[in-house]
Parts: sequence; structure tokens; C-alpha cells
Amino acid sequence: MTEPTIRVLLIDDNASRAAAVRAGLEADGCQVVGVLPNVADLVAQVRRAAADVIVCDIDNPSRDAIESMRALQSSEPRPVVMFVDQSDPAAITAAMEAGVAAYVIEGLSPRRVRAVVDVAIVRFRAHQALRAELAEARGALEDRKIIERAKGILMRARGMDEDAAFRTLRTMAMDQGQRLVEVAQGVVTVGSLLQTKRISTKK
Amino acid sequence: MPASEHVQTAPALHTGLPDLSLGYVPLTDAAPLLVADAKGFFRANGLCVALTPAASWSALRDRVAFGAWDGGQMLGPMPIAAALGLGGVRADLVVTATLGRNGNTLVLGGSLAEAMGDASFPLTGSAFAAGLRRHRATGAPPPVLAVVFAYSSHNYLLRHWLAEAGVNPEQDVTLVVLAPPALPEALATGQIDGFCAGEPWGSRAVDLRVGRIMLTSGAIWPDHPEKVLALNADLAARDPARIEAATRSVIAAATWLANPENIEEAAHILHHQALPGVPEAVVAFALRGQLPLSPDADPTPVPRAIVHGTAETYPDPVHAAWFLAAMRRWGHVARGGAAPAGVWRPDIWHRVTALPAPFIDTPPTPRSLLP
Repeated sequence: MTEPTIRVLLIDDNASRAAAVRAGLEADGCQVVGVLPNVADLVAQVRRAAADVIVCDIDNPSRDAIESMRALQSSEPRPVVMFVDQSDPAAITAAMEAGVAAYVIEGLSPRRVRAVVDVAIVRFRAHQALRAELAEARGALEDRKIIERAKGILMRARGMDEDAAFRTLRTMAMDQGQRLVEVAQGVVTVGSLLQTKRISTKK
Repeated sequence: MPASEHVQTAPALHTGLPDLSLGYVPLTDAAPLLVADAKGFFRANGLCVALTPAASWSALRDRVAFGAWDGGQMLGPMPIAAALGLGGVRADLVVTATLGRNGNTLVLGGSLAEAMGDASFPLTGSAFAAGLRRHRATGAPPPVLAVVFAYSSHNYLLRHWLAEAGVNPEQDVTLVVLAPPALPEALATGQIDGFCAGEPWGSRAVDLRVGRIMLTSGAIWPDHPEKVLALNADLAARDPARIEAATRSVIAAATWLANPENIEEAAHILHHQALPGVPEAVVAFALRGQLPLSPDADPTPVPRAIVHGTAETYPDPVHAAWFLAAMRRWGHVARGGAAPAGVWRPDIWHRVTALPAPFIDTPPTPRSLLP
């Protein structure tokens, strides 16, 4: 005997994360009946989608609207927020840290909701890690730009070639016990001060 | 480079960690929390506080319920809803101070505002009912009015005001929920026809020329209790000194806010810390006791548009009884069900202030607000 397919509505304004969650849920045998960003007529959409579960970001501003559906209009469905199982603190922590909030519309069994939430947690976490990596990569790129600018300043101001400029920065960093980028930032700051001074004395 | 240079070692001591983490929603009546932080009242009471904005009341409640935060600003009925597990999350909270009185406005826009004609401020329920009939006569569907949460004084006072005028809040209008910062835009795009929300969002809607302020919540029930300081009950039991220090700081901030000389600075703090998108002058209106009713009119004096002060922070158990009564009236709580006990904690307030229960010359709860 097979259980009916769980119908899941995703509310997420982050398209790439939503796609990842959707793929995970579909691989798990769920039916994703809709992926909505934070839209205007959310309540109508929730009603139309006839979902069993709504999954969203814990900080999605639409959450208050989802929670208030039945309390405002007694004919509306009643989504109940589901932090997995309130007697399981570890599961709650996992959901909160991953930023997953889920709502159960009508009496779906806790075990089946748990499966949906677990998939969402895994996909939300993977997305978080990806974002952290991107931010790190972007940081590294910024660092390289600053070092390039510092080298340029030394090359112009001291008539050094590129290698010499880099060696000078590295020596300064070792002497001062600082990271290369910190020393480079210092050179860029001083360089821009000198630049301004030169322009103003020219006047 | 050796791998160790990449590893950020965790500090051995937890110095610098906040003693208390509190959440708030960007609204004027978050002022006692933001001022306690910015003016150093928390520090003066020996607390290092992390203050964080929440994108929704639900998110704030969850973080406090599951211990990620220790407490924060909440709508008065929220701690009762949490105690009863309404909406799925059950949590024990304590209310040690009221953050403010009044402070919400009813704003109407578009064809609904036009249908009200030249009805004067504050709009009466019967004038609204007449305007609504004119609106309906044009073939318009029931107007959509937004409140900020189901378990809120906004929802309960608006329903009471509509029902008193013979308007059925579930048939003659459509009530929806939207986060406060989204309201002016929703009014501008015609997604809603009006809203009832805390300041500065009413003034902001007028400032953006998308609506008119028709009524203040204080005109429905003068000096009604509004937001509260709600804290995790486990923490209150485990570490009462910390809860008392937090309560003392917030009351000090409310006392500071009652001094008219501090209004400009308060508006400055609110604008910079919590409401960067709303001009400082717009934030200042309600604090100063005036409201811009329509885009081209001078601000109108509305004394007690929002009220902060020492006496106003008293967490009166009568307020809890009223919120619960309203929740029963609108079917959010079963009529026979027991009231949650020990949520409102005037004893903590007394211990912190060494004051008796203050006398506020507030008209009693309108009898007809009760079921």
C-alpha cells in the first residue's frame, strides 16, 4: 500500500536555492506544486496550490501572512508551523541553523513532514556553504586587487620593477608580522594621500 | 603558507559574547530597546546586549521560543498565543514591561479613501460604514485591509471598531497580514486598500503620497497597551538578575523617551539604527505628538499618538486579561479554556522600580470590547 505523494509549496525569493530544494524533494518522491518568491497574493496562491506542506526561509517576511490565514478568515486553511518535533531539540536547532521553516496544512503525519524538512535542511545547508565559499572567493579577489594596486604605487613611486615591488611588500609584511594584504592596504592608503598632496601642491 | 595561518582559533574565554540577545521589528515603539542600547542604559546596568531586527513576528517568536534569542519586543497577545501553543509553537515567556501605549494608525488609500469623502479625523465607525457602502455601490469588491499579525491589538481593535459600526470583519472587508515595511508599497500598487500598523508606517505612507491617516488606535481605546518586553521564562527562572537588569534598562529608556527634549535624538537613533529608509523627520512625527494626515496638509497635533514613560511600562495583568478576552471573542482561543498564568510579571517590575502600581488615567477597557 502506497502513501499519497506529499504536495510541497516552496516560498523562496532565492531562485538557485529553491531549485536545489525542489530537486532534493523530487528525488525523495515529493511533488513540488509551486515555487513562489515573496509574492503579493500569497494566501490565494497557498489556497490554490492545495499543498500539504509549505517550506520557506525562517526569515521570509511572508511567514506572518501564512500563520495568520485561518485566524483572520475562518474559512481559510490552517498552516501550523512545524519545527520538526518540539520534543526534539537537536532537530529544532538543525532547522533553525539551516534557516528552514515548514508549515503543515492538514494532518500530515509528523514522520512524513520530518522527511520533507530533513531534505530542506540538507539543501539549505549546502546553499549556505556555497555562499560562504563565494564570499571567500570574492574576498580573495579583493585581496589580489589591493596587492596589485600597492605594487603599482611602489613601481611608480620608487621606480621598482614588479618583482621588486612584490618582494618589498612581502618583506614589509614579515617585518611587521602582518598579512600581505594588510601591508598592501597601508601602501594604497598612503599612496592615495601622497597623490592628493601632489595634486594640491601643483595648484 | 602553513595551514595554521588560515585557522581562526576560537578565543579561550567567551569575552565579548552578549549577555543577552534581543530582537525587534522596525517600528517606532521599538524605541525603548533601541534607546536603551544607543544611550548606554543596558551597559549602565552591566549588560552587553545584542539587538537584532527580525523580518517577521513569527521569526522573532521562534528564535525566542527555541532559545536562539533571550527575548525582545512582541505584540501584546503574542506571549499568550505562545503559552497556548497557537499556530504550532508553544513557549513560556514572561512579560516584564509594556513598551508603549497607542501608536497604530488606520491608513486608507485609492478608491476606498475617496469613498470616505471629507469625513473628518478621527474617522468614526459609522462614517467608515457609510463610506464602505458608497465604495460597494461603485461595484468594488470588499476592500482589502492589512494588519501586521493575527494575534495583535491591531487586528482586535480594528475588528471591534468595524463590528461596532455593523461592518462584518470577515465578510464586508478582507483582512490580510503584511509585514509593516511592505505596507506603503502594497498600498501604492493597489494590492491593499488600507492598513492598520504601528508608526512610522502610517506617516511614511502619507509621506509617499499613497494614503491618508484616518484614525489612530488610541481613538478606539485611549492609551491601550501595545508592544511588550517578552523574555524567555527559563532564563527568568535561572538568572533573575539578568532579566531584572534588562527590564531596568528598558524602563530607564522609556523614562528618557518621555522627556520632550529627547525626541529629536530619539528620532535620530531610530532612523539610524532601525529605519534607515524612513526619513528622520517622518520618524519624529508620532514621537512629537503629531501626524501628517494627508500629503498636502500640515501635520496635525495628535497628543499621545504614541506614549512612552515610566508609568506606561507597567505590565498590568489587566492588559493580559483584555488580550485574552479579545482572543476569545474572535475565536482564537476556546471560550472555556483556562487562561495562561504567570505570563505578565508585575512583581519583577515592582522589584526593579521600587514603585507601586502606577495610576494612569486611562478609560477602562470598553465593555463592548469584551466578549
